[in-house]
Amino acid sequence: MAGLGMKAARVAVVVALFAIWEILSRTGIVDPRLLPSASDTLLTLVELLQRAGIRNDLAVTASEVMVAFILAVPCGALIGFAIAENRYFAEVAKPLLFFAFSIPKSIFLPMFILVFGVGFSQKVGFGFFSTIFIVIMSTTTAVESVKVEHLTVARSYGATRLQTAFRVYLPSMLPVLLEALRISMIFNLTGVILAEMYASREGIGHQIATWGENFQMKQLLAGVVMVAVIAMTFNELIRSVETRCSHWRT
Amino acid sequence: MQPLANVTPFKPGSRAGAIQISNVGQVFKTATQDVVALSDVSLDIKPGRFVVLVGPSGCGKSTLLMMLAGLRQQTSGTILINEAPIPQPDPNRVGVIFQEPSLFPWLTAEENVEFPLALRRIPRSDRRAKAVDALKLVGLEGFGKRHPHELSGGMKQRVSIARGLVQDPPVLLMDEPFAALDEQTRMTMGDELLRIWAATGKTVVFVTHSLTEAVYLADEVVVMSARPGRIVDHLTISLPRPRTYEMLGGETFGTLRDRIWRHIRKSA
Repeated sequence: MAGLGMKAARVAVVVALFAIWEILSRTGIVDPRLLPSASDTLLTLVELLQRAGIRNDLAVTASEVMVAFILAVPCGALIGFAIAENRYFAEVAKPLLFFAFSIPKSIFLPMFILVFGVGFSQKVGFGFFSTIFIVIMSTTTAVESVKVEHLTVARSYGATRLQTAFRVYLPSMLPVLLEALRISMIFNLTGVILAEMYASREGIGHQIATWGENFQMKQLLAGVVMVAVIAMTFNELIRSVETRCSHWRT
Repeated sequence: MQPLANVTPFKPGSRAGAIQISNVGQVFKTATQDVVALSDVSLDIKPGRFVVLVGPSGCGKSTLLMMLAGLRQQTSGTILINEAPIPQPDPNRVGVIFQEPSLFPWLTAEENVEFPLALRRIPRSDRRAKAVDALKLVGLEGFGKRHPHELSGGMKQRVSIARGLVQDPPVLLMDEPFAALDEQTRMTMGDELLRIWAATGKTVVFVTHSLTEAVYLADEVVVMSARPGRIVDHLTISLPRPRTYEMLGGETFGTLRDRIWRHIRKSA
C-alpha cells in the first residue's frame, strides 16, 4: 500500500504534466495549433460531452466493447480451462497459441472488413479476436496456479467435482483471472477503437480519426483524454478488487 | 497453552476407530517396470491407540497412510476401518492432516475449519459453532477471524488439525504434520497433539521421520523398510503417560530409539 505522501507525489506529477502542457502551449514553445493548451482541451472535452452525436458515438463504442468482451472472456476462459486440464490438448495447442499470440492482430483487420463489412459486427468480431488469445493464455496460467495440495484436501474431505470447481478452482484462480480481465480489456478496447479508426461510420475511434484528418487538434486531444479516462477507470475498478485478494497469490 | 479442563471435549462417540490392514500390497506401474511400494503389510490397530509409522524414505509409509485415507487404492489385500473397506475418502470415518497445512488462503481460520462441513451442506450456524469448538480444542480460541497469512506456521498446522477434527471422525491420519515446523514449535505441537488425543480418544496413525518424535508420541511404533516396503518391527512403547520432556533423556527412551534406529540403518 502506498503511503499518503506517495499518493500526494503521484497527484503532483499529474498536475505538473498538465502544467507543463499548459505552459508549452501558452508560451508558444510548441505551436498551439499542434498542441492546444490543456485548459482549452478540457473545455473542448466538456463541450463535446454535451453534444448528442458524441454521446451516441461513446454509446456505440461502449456497446461494441461490452459485447466483444462478454463474448471473448467466457469463450477464452472455457478454451483455456480445457487446455490446462487436458494434458494432450495442452501439448498440442499451447505452442500454436503462442505463435498466434505473437502475430499483430491489426494485420487481419482488412479481412474482418471483407467478411463483416464496416458495421457493428466487424468491431465486435475484431474486438473478440484481439482479446481471446490473451484470455486463453491467462486462464491456462490461472488453472496452473491451483495448488495440488488444495485439491488433495478437497478430495480427502469428499468434495464433489462441482464443489471442487467452485470452492477450490475458482477462488484459487480469482487473482490471476482478475488480472486477466483487466489486461483483456486493454486488448479489447485497443481492438475495437483501432477497427473504428480504420473504417467506420460511428464510434469514438472513428471521431478521433476524423478529427485527426481534419487537423482539429482540440477535439482530437479531448477525444484522447476521454478514452484514456474511460480505460483507466475500468482498469482501476478491477485493480481495487484485485488487491483485496492479492494475499492468496503465489 | 490452555489447560485441558477448559476444553469442551468432543463427544467420544462410539468406540469406533479400529483399523485392520491385511496382506496389503501396492505396485506402481511405470513405463519400464513395476515398482513394489508395499508388500504383504498386515497391521491391527485397536480403537484409541496412537500408532506411529517410521522408516526410511521410500518405505511406503505415506502410501499406506493415503490408502487408509481412501485417497489411493491398494493393489492387493484388504483395509478395514470400522470394519468396512474404504474405497474413497470418507471424512465421517477418517480425518487427514497433511505435512503442509494446506489451508485455503481466501478463507479465515474458522471458514477453513468449516470447509468439510460446508461440503455436507450443514447449516451455517451449526458449522460455525463446531468450528469454534474445534479451534478452541487446538488452542486457537480468538484466532478464528484471521486469514492463514496472518498466522504462524504452528498456528496454521493447528487450524489444519482442527479441520481434521471438526467432523469428529474416529480416526485421525497425520502425514508428517510437524516436519515443516521449527524444533521448538514441533515439541510444543507434539504435546498439544497428545493433549487433544487424550481429550478426544481418537485412533491416531502418525507418519514421521523423527525417531524421537515417534517414541515420544506413540503407544506403538511400526518400523518399515524400503524396497519393497514392509513392516520389520512393531514395538509397544511402555513409557507412562503423560509423556514429559524428562523422559527424552531416560534409559527406556534411549533403548527404544536405538532399537528402531538399528532397523532403519539396516534397510537404508
